[in-house]
Amino acid sequence: MSTNEHHMEWPPSDPKVVKEELFSSTKKGSSSLKTISKFLGVLSVLGLVGLIGKFLIDGGDQTQWGYVAAILAFIFSVTGGAPMVAIAPFIAKANWARPISRMAHVIGASAVIVNIIIMIPLLWMLPPLVVEGARRRSIWFEAPVYSPHFWDFLSLIMLAIAGLGLLYVSALPDFAIMRDNSEGFRKKIGKFLAGGFVGSTVQWSTLRMRVGVMSTLYFFIYIFVHVVISIDFSLSMVPGWRDAIYPMAHAMGGIQGGVALVIILAWIMRKYGNYENYLNINVFWALGRLMFATSLMWIYFFYSAFIVFWYGKSMSDNAWLDLLIRGPMVYVFILGMLFSFVFPWWWLIWNKVRNSINGPVIGAFIALIGVFFERIRIYVPAWSVDPKLIHDKWLTVIPGTLYPDIWDILLILGSISFVVLTVIFISRIIPFIGVWEVQQFNLLAKPVKYIKAHGIRVAKPD
Amino acid sequence: MVTEDKRSWGMVIDTDKCNGCSGCVTACQVENNIPLNDQNKFERGRVMSWIRIERYWEGEFPDVKARFIPILCQHCANAPCEPVCPVYATYHNDEGLNIQVYNRCVGTRYCANGCPYIVRFFNYWEPAWPEDLRNHLNPDVTIRSRGIMEKCSFCIQRIKRGSRKAKEENRELQDGEIKPACQEACSTNAIVFGDLNDPNSEVSKLSKSESDRKYTLMPQLNTDPNVVYLATIDPLKYKDLGEKAKSNEH
Amino acid sequence: MQQRDNQNRLSQEYTNRVLLNGTLSTPRWWYPLVSVLLFFVVIGFILFGIQIKYGLGVTGLNRPVYWGLYITTFVFWVGISHAGIMISAILRITQAEWRRPVTRAAEILTIFSLATALVFPLIHAGRTWRIVYWLIPYDAARGIWPNIRSPLFMDPIAISTYLTGSTLFLFVALIPDLAVLRDRTTGFRKGFYTILALGWRGNPRQWKMQVVGGILLSALMLPIFVSVHSIVSWDFAVTPAVEGWHSTIFAPYFVIGAVHSGVSAVVTMMALMRWGWGWNDFIRPEHFDALARLLTVVATAWLGFTFLELLFALYGLDAPEIALREMQIFQYPWNLLFLTFLLTGYILPVPMWLFKRVRTNIALMFWSSILVNIGMWLERFLIIVPGLARKSPFVFTWEAYSPSWFEWYVLFWSFCWVTLLMLLFSRVFPLVPLFEQKESEVFSDSIKIGRATVPTIFREEEEEEED
Repeated sequence: MSTNEHHMEWPPSDPKVVKEELFSSTKKGSSSLKTISKFLGVLSVLGLVGLIGKFLIDGGDQTQWGYVAAILAFIFSVTGGAPMVAIAPFIAKANWARPISRMAHVIGASAVIVNIIIMIPLLWMLPPLVVEGARRRSIWFEAPVYSPHFWDFLSLIMLAIAGLGLLYVSALPDFAIMRDNSEGFRKKIGKFLAGGFVGSTVQWSTLRMRVGVMSTLYFFIYIFVHVVISIDFSLSMVPGWRDAIYPMAHAMGGIQGGVALVIILAWIMRKYGNYENYLNINVFWALGRLMFATSLMWIYFFYSAFIVFWYGKSMSDNAWLDLLIRGPMVYVFILGMLFSFVFPWWWLIWNKVRNSINGPVIGAFIALIGVFFERIRIYVPAWSVDPKLIHDKWLTVIPGTLYPDIWDILLILGSISFVVLTVIFISRIIPFIGVWEVQQFNLLAKPVKYIKAHGIRVAKPD
Repeated sequence: MVTEDKRSWGMVIDTDKCNGCSGCVTACQVENNIPLNDQNKFERGRVMSWIRIERYWEGEFPDVKARFIPILCQHCANAPCEPVCPVYATYHNDEGLNIQVYNRCVGTRYCANGCPYIVRFFNYWEPAWPEDLRNHLNPDVTIRSRGIMEKCSFCIQRIKRGSRKAKEENRELQDGEIKPACQEACSTNAIVFGDLNDPNSEVSKLSKSESDRKYTLMPQLNTDPNVVYLATIDPLKYKDLGEKAKSNEH
Repeated sequence: MQQRDNQNRLSQEYTNRVLLNGTLSTPRWWYPLVSVLLFFVVIGFILFGIQIKYGLGVTGLNRPVYWGLYITTFVFWVGISHAGIMISAILRITQAEWRRPVTRAAEILTIFSLATALVFPLIHAGRTWRIVYWLIPYDAARGIWPNIRSPLFMDPIAISTYLTGSTLFLFVALIPDLAVLRDRTTGFRKGFYTILALGWRGNPRQWKMQVVGGILLSALMLPIFVSVHSIVSWDFAVTPAVEGWHSTIFAPYFVIGAVHSGVSAVVTMMALMRWGWGWNDFIRPEHFDALARLLTVVATAWLGFTFLELLFALYGLDAPEIALREMQIFQYPWNLLFLTFLLTGYILPVPMWLFKRVRTNIALMFWSSILVNIGMWLERFLIIVPGLARKSPFVFTWEAYSPSWFEWYVLFWSFCWVTLLMLLFSRVFPLVPLFEQKESEVFSDSIKIGRATVPTIFREEEEEEED
């Protein structure tokens, strides 16, 4: 068995080189990045203007807030879904995901501020639990009146803390490197954040345990937040909509978008950060498979719900179809289906496409747009329902199509820009490819040649 | 009069007139060759009666009222039993009837689960009658063997006979000419049967004119039944009105 | 004979000798056990004949509980059948190395449990002899096609597709082992294996085709794997008339439950194989460990779905649905069943599996996996029957259901039948794939990282066209 015989892209085996190369991206900043950041900053401010404008103009009318809810659901679910790309392989002890797990964690922590800013006015607009003396249907049953608002907000805060915590815990050794190898403010930040990490055996094993616990915790919180927010912000606002798989389908859509985000970020890092050796074809191939699998899972969850409504034919089943499928957002539904499932599926099903660098990226872009359409398709009609009907057994008046106004568009652009800006900001501090992750990756995996076949020898520590 | 293939047979049951005498149940039992329900069948929960009287108590003692609702196959236009049958043993014909084809039935009992009114019956055993009743069976109605489903057919044998007779005599079928056994036996004329698509028939008049009393069973399931019920008139509701009228007279 | 070669690998000769001990020779317990099972199976067939002759009155079914133990057991066996593809296909695609000794057993469990499941609609139907309308439906003379809208028609299609696919999958994986058997038998048996081995000589081209065939079938089987139990769940979910059935979560809920019960059944079977044939060198504690880890994740996901199902049952605040849940969870005898279901399905086994000492203890794994399947059978029972036996709006149709001894026997019969088929299979084909075992010995190695010795696995790259 000989190593590195064929010209395969592979991380350099010298830990020092790895450290140098990976930290270089935090230090050098091109002028175009600055221009882009300024542009995104302007858009972010406009987004805030959009939110305030929306609140001043439509503050009394709940039915106008569908797009705001949709963009919140989109941002929190796809950014929150990204860490799953790191968590699942971590728990399954899969080595391939190590070079991209930092990016996944960064995306998970990138939308914390935006989520909370958009959440506050939305909570304001949420109809109360008790309307005209009667309790509307919600998952909070007999809980106190403040329930949905309080718990929704708390759950989002929990997700934010878990996301930041996961990023922090998994970046700890890199902070220590930063402390030891840099000057000025980076050294200060490193010293502050590394918390005395010197890489002793105890510290390493604690670190592994901490990442494990945070990953598991993050997963459960992510699911919990999806259950709570997807139900309170859409399902329980439509009378008669009872859909047990909906929170899971919603979460699956989020994970699908999260995988897409990781692929896109990895592609950008490879192309503009010159990390071809780290983010090699193996990573994109595995991510492409993940993208394909999550797209299939999403359509399966969607279809499980759809077929039951379609067959059931009861009044509430028909109302669901009228509102969410063939109703006001029918074109968005068709676009969502095409972009979330049909195109990614037919694109990523090919081995050649998955086993390439650009193939998974195109699939990821398509799927991300699909998730965005899907959120609009669900949230906009759900919020358009007349709040007076909220006690009915099923929906009798299907609202008309709601188009976004200027404030909605500003908010959508601004909030997405702000998330991207946050990611750029984080990239100035910590390396997007975990140094210690790559160093461990190198310890555990090696390209080898066995008789005539090329392969990788992977160590499986218990 | 509507032509044959545009008919939609339906029924109006006025629960205000129903006194719960169970005449319809007996008549149906005899007309449709339904096996006798003995004690064993009651105990095992395998009673068959295509029409049954559901009895409810209303109010607290001593002001208790017995309420009766005769329940039979609703012949839903949007029947939940039909799409689930794997062999098309139950389907909708063009006269608005929900048909059970005994020959096709393999006895999956799926239709019975689909039916929210629980008016479908399964033959757990081969049907049997006492020797002296064997000659009383209706020759127009098939005897169902073990292992198949059966249910109210709106006395399809009578519908066919009536339509055939009208055709032979070269005339239109008259409203009220065809009466299912339950309607014939009803002592208070609570049951009216006829063509819902004929605007002049008694059923369509009844089901339209008194719209404030009209209701169908389980509307939330969107089954669109062809059996329409007229609600009981609550005497208590009108008692005050009557007294007011009396006091006004004086 | 030497067990291990100089690289501390199990020698191929030893592997052949031990793993073929059930095929080339007969264990002592085999004949007595098969006779007893045969006896019970024959009684089952006689009872089935009696039921056909006299009708379904022999069961405890009534109106409105039209579906009972038969359908429950049908769903149960379809669930068990999800073991094979879960282990063989999904773990093959995700490159889980520990799957290797388990694959064959899981696949035949799939096939025999599916075959058993397919029998249950026949037992369940009122006129079994008319089922020909279902299975050979294209009766042009009558001009009636089967109703494709009915989930009960999609069931046989999905199950028979799954059965065909699984059989092919099993066969492709059997070919190298059949060649081994061909070379070690004489007479009639040699002829039999020669035909089945399809001229296998083990040259690179044949190996490549066998691997490609396996991967291709794995990928093609996955949609079927998901669809089978989804369709079975739609038997119930498309019916809005029955409270507790019309739930959108049913398809994934049933599939994840099926994986839970199927993988547990594989654990049960592995323990029995280890004890029965003495394959201690091949079915090792580390395999139980890996399966128990997988089961912990699956079981927790399944519990989450159970929770969502209950949450949304109550969400509508409809009186009949709440009454049904009250009956299902709090009223005797359902409350005892529900408690047993929760305890055996999750609360007892899963915390046990958190400890490595339990995961590597074969006896404990055996018993905990049996607990899971008791719980999973009860789960199906608690979904199907209370929904039908519910207190409906029509008081004249309230009825309880207690299965007759006839139905209990058929449940017992199904276990005897599956075990019998497996034992018969084991006399003809090896239950642990020899070539997978040998391949894993070749692929695994160990390296030194620092002071620790860590086991490693060789993973082949997908072929790239290099210019």
